[in-house]
Amino acid sequence: MKNLTLAWRNLWRNRRRTLITVASVFFAVFFALIMRSLQLGSYDYMYKTAIESYSGYLQVQQQEWWDNKTVNNVFRYTDTLEKKLLQDPNVNGTIPRFESFALAAYGPTTKGVMVMGIDPVKENMLSGVADKKVQYRLTPEAVAQIRSEASLPKKTREIVEKFEHVSFTSKNRFLTDLALDPEKDSDLLPRLARYAKFENGDIHMGEPGAWVGDRLSQYLKISIGDTLVLMGQGYHGTTAAGKYEVKGIIRQPSPDIDSKVVYLPVDIAQQLYNAPGMLTSVALHLEETGDKLLQQTAARLAEKIPDNTRMVDWKEMNEVMIQQMEADNMSGMFMLGILYLVIAFGIFGTILMLTTERRREFGVMVAIGMQKKKLAGIITYEMMMIGLMGVISGMIVCIPIILYGVHHPIIFKGELAHMMEQYDFEPKLVFEPVNKYFLWQAFVVGIMVLVSLLNPLRKILGMKVVNALRA
Amino acid sequence: MKVLELHNVHKIYNGSEVNVHAVNGITIDFEEGEFSAIVGPSGSGKTTLLNMIGGLDSPTEGKILVDNTDLSTLKTSDLIDFRMWNIGFVFQSYNLIPVLTAKENVEFIMNLQKRPKKERDQRTMEMLKAVGLGDRANSRPAKLSGGQQQRVAVARALASKPKFILADEPSANLDSKSTETLLDIMEELNREEKITFIFSTHDNRVIKKARRVVTIEDGKVISDENKQ
Repeated sequence: MKNLTLAWRNLWRNRRRTLITVASVFFAVFFALIMRSLQLGSYDYMYKTAIESYSGYLQVQQQEWWDNKTVNNVFRYTDTLEKKLLQDPNVNGTIPRFESFALAAYGPTTKGVMVMGIDPVKENMLSGVADKKVQYRLTPEAVAQIRSEASLPKKTREIVEKFEHVSFTSKNRFLTDLALDPEKDSDLLPRLARYAKFENGDIHMGEPGAWVGDRLSQYLKISIGDTLVLMGQGYHGTTAAGKYEVKGIIRQPSPDIDSKVVYLPVDIAQQLYNAPGMLTSVALHLEETGDKLLQQTAARLAEKIPDNTRMVDWKEMNEVMIQQMEADNMSGMFMLGILYLVIAFGIFGTILMLTTERRREFGVMVAIGMQKKKLAGIITYEMMMIGLMGVISGMIVCIPIILYGVHHPIIFKGELAHMMEQYDFEPKLVFEPVNKYFLWQAFVVGIMVLVSLLNPLRKILGMKVVNALRA
Repeated sequence: MKVLELHNVHKIYNGSEVNVHAVNGITIDFEEGEFSAIVGPSGSGKTTLLNMIGGLDSPTEGKILVDNTDLSTLKTSDLIDFRMWNIGFVFQSYNLIPVLTAKENVEFIMNLQKRPKKERDQRTMEMLKAVGLGDRANSRPAKLSGGQQQRVAVARALASKPKFILADEPSANLDSKSTETLLDIMEELNREEKITFIFSTHDNRVIKKARRVVTIEDGKVISDENKQ
């Protein structure tokens, strides 16, 4: 009789207790994996969003610009530098930027704004800014008309009021938020579009024109075709002043950015700030973005760029976000710790009961010739089997859920989504694909079982056979 | 030939108020092939004596030699091995391993001894047939009656061919018929296998069958009657 077989049969002596213990491990692993997958997936998604919507993985910046974002901390961007950057095998493209601040005015209203000088075509490689143009906007008039449109579903007419002043960049989100199914109810879109459709235009290099953030446009009460006035300090103390026709309204997911961003073509921004040929940064569009390759690329490029510039990677540019994620990660780990502690006590209780009620049997086994170490081995096998059954079943159930979740993130709708956006969170929960965090769970449960075993094993190894036989 | 020698064996249990002298200077030996009973009233020290003979407990004073090996000189793990190879146990309440079948219970010690499978299988079936349970080889203890379980326990004790078998009140939980059958089986195996049997009992049926009766009282041997 092999020890493993004996251990396996012992497990089913008290079927209910074994199943309850397995179930407790199963639920711990299940919730831990789902929680961890969502947490890690959301971190990755936020990193990806931050990187791909703004910073990019690598930027060339003027030496001091990141720490002191004044218009004087700019560098000259020449064709030679552009060629050097593009010669690198890992660089697919360059995205030039001129970022500064100004006072924006329309009519009697003014606001401090962030001016982003971009190349509209190149910028789309990284941040896809053109895809964020507002397509539908629920003005108070649009809301009133939709409410009185009898051909629309009652639910839509009831909830539309909650979305007054809200803009949408996609028809799917527009329909979903209004309690409609994007596929089944697509025929209702033209009726809604009649009241809420928002026509946008483009900005082009060399042509004065601006894209304005959605919230900023609503604050300034400015719309397409209106003229926005920008005033600020230019390069080397000059005055920066200009007026630009609003060509489009952009809706950024982050309310903070959305309420202050103005996009200009980069050459127009250079004119505004009297800094022709100068840039604050050049984001790089990379072929491969793995950590090691990124470092190698940065090191190669650092040797080619002018002395007054430096390579800055995404980690430095998103330092605050990384710190926030790490803090959040710690709290997640703490929660997992509590979850596992509860399970550890469950396992400990089972082992304690199991060893106490079989004390006499252990005595008999040792009396007739089984070494205590071997007996301890059998108990260890039993508990490892319970742990493994819980872990493996938890993983088996989690894998399809997580794999499904990876391709179908949880997207919040309606009010909840808008509330999350208010707090600068994208209303989306993304799952992390199955990888090494899965193995960590098995490892942690294994350690838990081993720690729970210490006391019972100590008792078995120090057992007095005569006393055990009297039990 | 002596298989077991006890020289001035004492066992004192230290109580909180008074020390209990469970075994008080017993000197006795047992020859190969004996079928002996240690008898005496409850609390006379029978089980304590049997436990010390089996190496499950150690004497406070004195020496126990099994086949000329002094048990007190063995380390814990060596003592376990020694028991496995030399001593068979039959307990009052059978103490079979509940998750193993009758066959697996019988071959359990041989398994620990790492004997070849063929030898194990042959010996197991031989012993089960000897105790009249050849047809119940695949039954678990829960499916067997008390008498049948005790017979499996006897087969388990005998299967590994120990020097002697210690049976502590083997008939205590059995009815008359089962006791009769069990004693007949043990007597037959004792004759055939030449294995020494030492019982601790106060059951007259067992005492009647025993060829030697050692009576102890208050931890001392008060009579040693050889019926042969």
